[in-house]
Amino acid sequence: MQSNRLGWILLAPTLVILFAFGVLPFVYVLWVSFHQWNPFAVDPTMVFNGADNFRKIVFDADFLNSVGVTVMFVFFAVISELIVGYFLAQAFMREFPGKAFFRTIHTLPLIMAPIIVGSVWKLMMTPSIGIIPHYMQQWFGISVNIGTSPFAAFTTIIIMDIWHWTPLVTLTLIAALVSLPADPFEQAQIDGANKRQIFWHITLPMIAPAVVATVFIRLMDALRTVDEVWMLTGGGPGSATRFVGVHIFKEVFPKTNYGYGSTISVVVLYLTIVVCWLLYVTMLAPRNTKKG
Amino acid sequence: MAQETTLASVHLEDADATPPSAQKQGFLPIETNWFDRLFIAVVIWVALSLFWFRFVEPMGLSIWISNVIALVLAVWIIRKG
Repeated sequence: MQSNRLGWILLAPTLVILFAFGVLPFVYVLWVSFHQWNPFAVDPTMVFNGADNFRKIVFDADFLNSVGVTVMFVFFAVISELIVGYFLAQAFMREFPGKAFFRTIHTLPLIMAPIIVGSVWKLMMTPSIGIIPHYMQQWFGISVNIGTSPFAAFTTIIIMDIWHWTPLVTLTLIAALVSLPADPFEQAQIDGANKRQIFWHITLPMIAPAVVATVFIRLMDALRTVDEVWMLTGGGPGSATRFVGVHIFKEVFPKTNYGYGSTISVVVLYLTIVVCWLLYVTMLAPRNTKKG
Repeated sequence: MAQETTLASVHLEDADATPPSAQKQGFLPIETNWFDRLFIAVVIWVALSLFWFRFVEPMGLSIWISNVIALVLAVWIIRKG
């Protein structure tokens, strides 16, 4: 009884902070999403409009387009990061000269703020002064202009995201691979299993929880990407890179449409939770195996 | 040795898992507790409402019909899921 009380007392500060900075803002955004509210208008009163914002959102072509673009971005970026991250993790599991140096260098992008990453890539991609368009033109004869080509802009953002966030995936997978016991691998080799069989039947199932946790983190991060994209393309050309985060930003700040912006945020949060939950269910949840 | 490993892992899994009394095997393809089923019901309610707003309400059917359907589904999922 005493230890139970002590446990609650020790937990209290965390619970209070979580409630104040997690639960309350969420409830407030949910509340605002059912209102029409422009705090900078002549009449800044919050007007309750029921589910009208949700009625509007399902017909909002810009929002639906931004969801499509975001899903495509998340799919290509997260899958690529996972594959590249796994191979890098496997490489860092081996001994080679300068391993510690390369491992340090490889994690450097992680410590850069996204807005800086966006600025640096913008400098590298600007046609007149950027190094990438220059060499793409000189070596391959390809003209790259993220200001006019939707494909170039979208691809550049994916590559930028892979460059920025793959080290996180690598570090997580290294931690998972290091903790694997040697016995099953030795037994599999004695039984004559090849590398592919060992990967699919031993390595992958054993590191699955770490992979799913990494995918969760990257998925949630990628779904709310704003600053890098805002800095690099501003959502353009047209709406080619107008991800949901950028769409919310444009709706809330330039238009000061707080009610509708909150509605979009709530729907995006809903989509994020559903995607993560489906991922958890398909990969980790205990199966309902009926007996008899 | 192999048997020891298996028993140890079973013991660890049991310690981490939700108490068996809280888990339920209903018609859902995964083991769930009541909060999981409430969560699934809310997810379906929101999805159904958005679908209704987009495709059914323009034909003149009120959103309250969707809410009633979602409520019935929720009760069914929570009790039998």
